[in-house]
Amino acid sequence: MAGIYVHIPFCKSKCTYCDFASFPDKIGFAESYMACVYREMAKRKNELKNYKFNTLYIGGGTPSVVDENYIAMLVAAARKNFNLDEDAEITIEMNPGTVSEKKIKTYLNCGINRFSVGLQTAVDGQLREIGRVHDLKQFLQCAKLLKGKNFSVDVMLGLKNQTVDDVIKTVETAAYSGAKHISVYALSPEDGTPIYSDYLNGELPDGDEVAAMYAAAYAKLKELGFTRYEVSNFCKKGFESRHNLNYWKRGEYIGFGVAASSCINDVRFTNTFNLDEYFKCILSDNFAVISSEKVDEAGREEEYVMLALRTAAGINLKEYANLFGGDFLKKYSVQIEKVREYIEINGDFLKIKDEYLFVQNQIIVEFLD
Amino acid sequence: MTKKSNIRNFCIIAHIDHGKSTLADRLMERTGQVSQRDMEAQLLDSMDIERERGITIKLTPVRMFYKAKDGVEYEFNLIDTPGHVDFTYEVSRSLAACEGAILIVDASQGVEAQTLANVYLALENNLEILPVINKIDLPSARPDEVKAEIEEVIGLDASDAPLISAKEGLNIDDVLEAIVKHFPAPECDETAPLKALIFDSYYDNYKGVILFVRVKDGKIKPGDRIKTFRSDKVYDVVETGVFAPNLLPKGELSAGDVGYIAASIKSIQDVAVGDTVVNADNPAAEPLPGYKTVQSVVFCGIYPLDGSRFNDLKDAILKLQLNDASLIFEPDSSVALGFGFRCGFLGLLHMEIIQERIEREFGLEIITTAPSVSYKVIKTDGEEIFVDNPSHLPPVSEIEHMEEPIVKADVYSPPEYLGQIMDLCREKRGVFLQMTYLDKSRVRLEYNLPLNEIIFDFFDAIKSRTRGYASFDYELIGYERSKLVKLDILLNGDVCDALSMIVHEDSAYTRGRTLCENLKEAIPRQLFEVPVQAAIGGKIIARETVKAVRKDVLAKCYGGDITRKKKLLEKQKEGKKRMRQIGNVEVPSEVFMQILKTNKD
Repeated sequence: MAGIYVHIPFCKSKCTYCDFASFPDKIGFAESYMACVYREMAKRKNELKNYKFNTLYIGGGTPSVVDENYIAMLVAAARKNFNLDEDAEITIEMNPGTVSEKKIKTYLNCGINRFSVGLQTAVDGQLREIGRVHDLKQFLQCAKLLKGKNFSVDVMLGLKNQTVDDVIKTVETAAYSGAKHISVYALSPEDGTPIYSDYLNGELPDGDEVAAMYAAAYAKLKELGFTRYEVSNFCKKGFESRHNLNYWKRGEYIGFGVAASSCINDVRFTNTFNLDEYFKCILSDNFAVISSEKVDEAGREEEYVMLALRTAAGINLKEYANLFGGDFLKKYSVQIEKVREYIEINGDFLKIKDEYLFVQNQIIVEFLD
Repeated sequence: MTKKSNIRNFCIIAHIDHGKSTLADRLMERTGQVSQRDMEAQLLDSMDIERERGITIKLTPVRMFYKAKDGVEYEFNLIDTPGHVDFTYEVSRSLAACEGAILIVDASQGVEAQTLANVYLALENNLEILPVINKIDLPSARPDEVKAEIEEVIGLDASDAPLISAKEGLNIDDVLEAIVKHFPAPECDETAPLKALIFDSYYDNYKGVILFVRVKDGKIKPGDRIKTFRSDKVYDVVETGVFAPNLLPKGELSAGDVGYIAASIKSIQDVAVGDTVVNADNPAAEPLPGYKTVQSVVFCGIYPLDGSRFNDLKDAILKLQLNDASLIFEPDSSVALGFGFRCGFLGLLHMEIIQERIEREFGLEIITTAPSVSYKVIKTDGEEIFVDNPSHLPPVSEIEHMEEPIVKADVYSPPEYLGQIMDLCREKRGVFLQMTYLDKSRVRLEYNLPLNEIIFDFFDAIKSRTRGYASFDYELIGYERSKLVKLDILLNGDVCDALSMIVHEDSAYTRGRTLCENLKEAIPRQLFEVPVQAAIGGKIIARETVKAVRKDVLAKCYGGDITRKKKLLEKQKEGKKRMRQIGNVEVPSEVFMQILKTNKD
């Protein structure tokens, strides 16, 4: 199992919380950029010829902001250069303010079979506050276009003036719109983003309030038939994101485009975050990798444990024994004793108790060296 | 007895900022001791911390030659003195090495508390005092009034006092001439058995301990066998010399001289300041007067922030002790802080200096516990013990009563702040003794105060309440019976020994409440609720609660950027490693210091 990630660093405008590689003022470079991505893919073709890929994830930024034909060409390029499964999960991220029937048709025609829609909140005032380019109505129209399809909705917690009721309304909106998958992320205010000053001013809900929102979302989603399979991810049965599951299983993946990360053969590497630099690298027939790290045996184990504990299933003890040899319960008996109260061991799985998944870091760090 | 008529041994007494170092530099410059371009801003104060605080801790003598107007060349030995009350004993020994003292008084600020204390010390040592009025170049200078003040407050004739500006180099020659005329030449007997007063020492990696001495009687030269009066260890003198100001070997030192002795002495503890060096083969019958064993006044625990660096801390303290016989320590351990040392200091400044030097010179981060004093505990079985570590206090049932050290404090201030000072002293359980108007603008308030009330923040409080105008000085006068209790802090039900303190019964409740409030803010939220309680004996007197953490999830793995997430977790792990485990509660080491610093009460 391996995945392909492609980063589209363009947006209509930048949201106030956004700390990712996206350049709203450079959208004019989209055509050249896509050409570079195709070229970067071709450059990896030989190296990855023995890999079988079963997911392709087109993220951003806002992939739906660029011409849909570029996206179709992108999917074709992926298929041309790599062994991408016939029934691979192919996801595109979309902003409800940038979709049209025609776009979705093109996406479907080129083989995209999963859509990730950024709603964030169902309260228009809050959407404006965080600089989203859409309103609730546009989301509903978008959902209508995706009716019957496999689509996911992103929801954010911890926005300015957001209440528990707003969160419940938002997840209900998402669920009733037909989404099969809902991601619920707590906002993390990053230094340098506009929202950071709100944070410094104490205008954002505090940790306890966010925890209450999360608890409400969790309860509501459960009621609506969604299962939590990772701390932030909920879905109807069988609609887990295979691409993300691969990350949490320490699977291999190759990233293309600005700021894209990869993990191939236990080497983690990341492309430049600078668009000009990316162009220069690719056009001079080089890769655009700016950092690379070989993960050693201890690091692999650490990552495996850290990622598995994020998931609701937890660590598969048999799989652990196969991968790293030895009995997890014995090897980590001291650490397990320390966090005994917060975990449960059930057959082949060791997991963080449901009620502690939202405070998992304190538990996970006990297992790190 | 003869006189060495061309030698003058003297020191300088001054309040902080009144220009002691500047005048010393000027004297050296004028006598050709150091060329202008080699001079650093303040030559005598060589330690960083001293320079930053404008105070002198280490005594550094200098020899100078001055050709006076009478045509004779004189040898001057300037012995610098520390300017702080913590080092009173060291000052007194330095004074004992001199015949005269220059008293610098600021032309606008007049006589200050600290100056006065040292003037009395000088008078006790029978020194001639030469008042010098400095900073006369300042617009606010009022030399005539200051002269009158010197006569009134100290009882010295100041009519001929040189009026100078050390900074501008104004009238420095007047001072040099006055030194010759005003100070007596040393009286000495070169034929008597050797007696040399140790007034300072330091440890040299190659030569061992270097003794700074004033030879009172007899002679000493390399090859002599010496011992000190209080120790039986005999040493062979390897080198003798003078301060030029660097060590300059000289074949012999004789009565009247100020110089140094190197005799391959391994430990500074064997040769205490104030002791008398004698010839081992022809020992003098009586020591020089004035020797005292140095006693620690303030105590605290010092622990490495990173528990694994205990050995580094040990090395650091041992190295500091090589040069500081007054620093005492013993290994100590705390449930909360692990292994460390219980250290005794001459006073608060001494404590701060040591803490700062450990951090700066040895690159070690340390945790210090609340400063404590030494309490006298009279047990029910009649035994008397001294306890400076709250966790060593016997059980209440075994204590008949306790006594605490009391100081006499002099506060000098402009009259408009009297109210604030009196309030503060009352809050600190002070007993008013008397008030004296020195002149229209200055009052002296005398109080008896418990030492444990002033070791926290008294100095800062007095400065802030008087906008920096008041000055303060104290001396230990004895022990008094007092209602003292041990205040414990419990985290999740477990006593945290590092936070225990001995306090007066009346302030226990306030202190306990403040500590709980501060801790509540400082302790990070854990996976469970943590009660923070203050207790006296078994009785809980205050409680706060650190709520359980409810959210700590990091942002999503955008584009599979797992490295970033890993780094965040690793950072969190690092933070965890620096925490101390108290029961099942994790407390960042920094908390222990924050608590002490934010203790406003």
